[in-house]
Amino acid sequence: MDNAGRRKFLVTLLAGGGAAAAAAAAWPLYRYLAPAGGGSAAAVVVIPENEVNEGQAKFFQYAGSAAVLVRKRGGELIALSAVCTHLGCIVQWVNEKQEFLCPCHAGLYSAEGAVLSGPPPKPLAPIPFKVAGGTIRVGEVA
Amino acid sequence: MKLFRQLVNWIDVRIGVGELVEKELTGYLLPRNINAWYSLGSILLTAFAIQVVTGILLLVYYVPDADKAFASVTAIMNNVPFGWLVRLLHAVGSNMMVLALLLHMLSVLWMGSYKRPRELNWLSGFILFNLVTGACLTGYLLPWSQLSFWATTVATNSVGAIPVVGGHLVEFLRGGKLVGAPTLGRFFALHVAVIPLIIGALVGAHLFLLQRIGVSSPPFGLDDTTNRWQGDVFRYESHPGGIPFVPNYLLQDLTSIFVYLACFLAVVFFDPYLFFPKEAFSPANPYLTPAHIKPEWYFLPNYQTLKIFPSELLGLAVQGVAMTLLALLPFLDRGGERHPLKRPLFRIGYVGGILLWLGLMVWGHYS
Ligand code: HEM
Ligand code: FES
Repeated sequence: MDNAGRRKFLVTLLAGGGAAAAAAAAWPLYRYLAPAGGGSAAAVVVIPENEVNEGQAKFFQYAGSAAVLVRKRGGELIALSAVCTHLGCIVQWVNEKQEFLCPCHAGLYSAEGAVLSGPPPKPLAPIPFKVAGGTIRVGEVA
Repeated sequence: MKLFRQLVNWIDVRIGVGELVEKELTGYLLPRNINAWYSLGSILLTAFAIQVVTGILLLVYYVPDADKAFASVTAIMNNVPFGWLVRLLHAVGSNMMVLALLLHMLSVLWMGSYKRPRELNWLSGFILFNLVTGACLTGYLLPWSQLSFWATTVATNSVGAIPVVGGHLVEFLRGGKLVGAPTLGRFFALHVAVIPLIIGALVGAHLFLLQRIGVSSPPFGLDDTTNRWQGDVFRYESHPGGIPFVPNYLLQDLTSIFVYLACFLAVVFFDPYLFFPKEAFSPANPYLTPAHIKPEWYFLPNYQTLKIFPSELLGLAVQGVAMTLLALLPFLDRGGERHPLKRPLFRIGYVGGILLWLGLMVWGHYS
């Protein structure tokens, strides 16, 4: 083989080896920094029934995000995602009006999560739950 | 490819890359008899870069709080994907870097490169060595294990032997009477910010000095053909007819770096706990001193010296004198001869010093 050919061969070999080494280093780096897994299969959250009184709301963590349980006047229970569908702020429960208010851009939702006014494009997402033996099991289909 | 050429050309026309490469890389000539020991500097730059990168990655999950530090480090080792790799690269890397530093110092000593006009290179390097060991000492506390806690207790305690101010100095270092949460706060700040920044600046100064005066020729082999510095005016030590840095010496640098990485990774993968005694695996307990607490291998000679002398102050003073003499060596040892075989007194001191240091280390290990 001539010198130029030899040089080209060696450079290719070196570049290939270098690329392989870079990839071998990049994978652990990516895995190290990647968010901790286990968020997809949401664990059931158990809340005692007496923690949610009539006309009141209880906020909690569900599937790595914010959720809320409301017991309307009259006793009906509702579980919703507390993440505003506009730009993702967390909604607040306004006791006097029995409505959700998003403080970021004044989006207003009913206790059932329907949009009453403001910029939110969609209702708050409902979350399945089951009531049994004095506890509310959020995340279990009734 | 054509687009790439155009881009390179576009930049070259504006900042003169070609000229820079010609002047600093391909046209940067090194002595023909240069040897592999000159590549230790590049190994050290690589080692320092690895410490910086892995250190930043550890900061992502490490919590500098006395109640949480140990658990956070345990989580990095056991739960975070590849956390063990990042932590071991950092912890084993510090030991390997100290080893490379020692070899670098021994090689510039043996070849007499510390002599004029390179006194400042030696001095800046000597300060760098002390800073790197300072980084090791402060980093050692951060996992908040039994080893961290008691090694730091003993190390900071020895400062107390200094007359008059000793007691106060110990408390100041610890941020309290004993090692505790305040000590972690200040060691953390020193370890992740203060010391690395000063090391970075000093490495810059070290390389600037080298670039100004030029690399030394080894005293072996070929006769020195360079223009000789006389001490009257500044003269760059050029090496006409020498070998170019790029590609010739770059290849040596890369070879040495890969040999270093091979040794380093061999420890990381095949004997990861080589530098971890069992006290490193239990959380700090301020009420329970472990039986045989020893410092890291490179501090063992200091540790043993403190033990041999009847008074701690004497032991400390002897070490202070030895370190000062070493730091000022180029100002004391002013002869022009650099060939080690023509310097019998130097040779005795060199070999004797290494044997004494190793002897104290072994003694400290088994005592
Ligand atoms: C962070 C630590 C250090 C780094 C990154 C570093 C880097 C370098 C580099 C890249 C060179 C040029 C190539 C070579 O001769 O190896 C060099 C030269 C030199 N270093 Fe260091 N060094 C460090 C620590 C030290 C220490 C601890 C000493 C001694 C106390 C020292 C003394 C010298 C001397 C005297 C030279 C000039 C050698 C010559 O021109 O032949 N360095 N260093
Ligand atoms: S984010 Fe809720 S209204 Fe804009």
